[in-house]
Amino acid sequence: MSLPAEMRDTEPPPILGRWRNVNIAVLLWLAFLIFVFYRFTQYFS
Amino acid sequence: MTTLDWVVMIFTIVAIPSFGLWRGRGSKTVNQYLLAGKTMPWYAMGLSIMATQASAITFIATTGQAYVDGMRFVQFYFGLPVAMVILSATAVPIFHRSGVYTAYEYLEKRFDARTRALAAVVFLVQRGMAVGIAIYAPAIVMSVIFGWPDRFTTAIIGIVCVIYTTKGGIPAVTWTDVLQMSIIFSGLVLGLITVVSLMPAGISFGDAVYLAGAVGKLNAVDLKFDPGNRYNLWSGLIGGSFLALGYFGCDQSQVQRYLTGKSVSQSRLGLLFNAMAKVPMQFFILFVGAMVFVFFLFVPPPMLFDTTAAKAVSADRAYPGVEAKYQAAWERRKQAAFALNDARKVEDKPKLAAALGDYRSAQTDIDAARSTGIRLYEKSKHQKGYNDTNYIFMTFVTRYFPAGVVGLVIAVIFTAAMSSSSGELNSLAAVSVMDIYRRHFRRDATDHHYLLVSRWFTAGWGLWAVIFAQYAKNLGSLVEAVNQIGSFFYPVLLGVFILAFFFRRVQGGAAFWAMLVGEAAIVACALLTKIAFLWYNVIGALVVVVFGLLFSLLSEPRPAAANTL
Repeated sequence: MSLPAEMRDTEPPPILGRWRNVNIAVLLWLAFLIFVFYRFTQYFS
Repeated sequence: MTTLDWVVMIFTIVAIPSFGLWRGRGSKTVNQYLLAGKTMPWYAMGLSIMATQASAITFIATTGQAYVDGMRFVQFYFGLPVAMVILSATAVPIFHRSGVYTAYEYLEKRFDARTRALAAVVFLVQRGMAVGIAIYAPAIVMSVIFGWPDRFTTAIIGIVCVIYTTKGGIPAVTWTDVLQMSIIFSGLVLGLITVVSLMPAGISFGDAVYLAGAVGKLNAVDLKFDPGNRYNLWSGLIGGSFLALGYFGCDQSQVQRYLTGKSVSQSRLGLLFNAMAKVPMQFFILFVGAMVFVFFLFVPPPMLFDTTAAKAVSADRAYPGVEAKYQAAWERRKQAAFALNDARKVEDKPKLAAALGDYRSAQTDIDAARSTGIRLYEKSKHQKGYNDTNYIFMTFVTRYFPAGVVGLVIAVIFTAAMSSSSGELNSLAAVSVMDIYRRHFRRDATDHHYLLVSRWFTAGWGLWAVIFAQYAKNLGSLVEAVNQIGSFFYPVLLGVFILAFFFRRVQGGAAFWAMLVGEAAIVACALLTKIAFLWYNVIGALVVVVFGLLFSLLSEPRPAAANTL
């Protein structure tokens, strides 16, 4: 298994410095949403 | 509809596509027509990608889904942000830097012409069916409001859509989507405010939420792992990720959107914007559906929301009895809902438990009566699997929304259907021209010729969509039907792109045969097992990868035996 050369990061994102940090922020947002929805489900059922 | 509704509706339907056509004017080359000359900013791409999914189906079927089944459908979208992160780091830079028009063109660069052709055909079959469903959805609106036959309305919508798409190309589609998404967001907020304001005196927003939750309509997250359960956290995260990877990474209608970006970074931002906004938006739409359910606790809902079905059932001799049971169950549920609401405020636990039991029991009764009504209809039509989920929200809108808002909601649904369908038609034309026509039939024609052919293919696919739409009414909930069709075809596309991106040793022959084995595996799952359809995405993609590697190993030339003499 090998990564293609086209995947190299050549431009930085406008925020958070690196694309890896942006990706982590998106995944943390998802985790937060799931947690909130889970608590929502528990509370109202 | 009132005069004000008509004015709002016609103005919106004319204004939104006109804005898109104006912003996207001047498509004189194939590159401009299919890729907008690679000039789009991230926010336009992000909103356009969202708008393609937020079609008329989203409004009509998702709200109805919440009414019938609660909010658990939101879990279906949990895999989407995961997929967006993966794709923004992989597919976006790879496709962008390869300079391709379509995703399948890359497969020829990486594998061979037949793998590209097979992937293109799989896409054309899948998307060709889905676009038919997208065109059918708003026909429901017209059939409920005006009583026009579905066939007539699908034909009208299809023709308007084809004219608009043929003229504007992808730039017009994208800019139309931007405006449309702004109106959709406004429409959703307005819809929620309206439904809450229509609750009876004494029922606050908090009460409404409580009453929805008490009968499981707010069951957004289910942690229990069950492969036979369509929607739970695990099927959403794992199956949903694979489905979203297949949809956004391998479906030309989406790939084409981020190929229009000014740069790799702009395209990546467009996808990640979608990753953050999509799940809350779906939650919100489902919540509106749950509130519609609460509204109908206090206002009698029809037993069958589809007026045509209701009329057919009313001729049955058993109908009066079933209808009487339904009305009695509704009356009992209404009283139980008021009693429960009162009980929860006095904090008397035994009384609360009794009221809750009564409320849930009444809900079970009304569900049973409604099921009997549906069975009566199925019996009269000699068909199984009928449901009227797609009619619920529009019945509510047309009967209870104030003047002006009805016109706006219907206009949003119409433009959403046209916009998402036009994007799909544009991508179908792109694949038909670039991957089939130019590659296999006419390789050296002028740019003007391909532009002309692209427009003809757009019109041809529009005609096909209208024909297929005639059968969409038999596919149950439209939103589920779209996703089920996708789960039959996306996995093999996803599998072959995983092989293309990450397994450099795998060559064309192995990839081609692995795709066929993968599709056979999905068909076998559907016919021989009870596995929920979201898991087909995982199974199909893994089968393609495993068999691709296996075929690759078997087809590698063996080293010549050493001469020992």
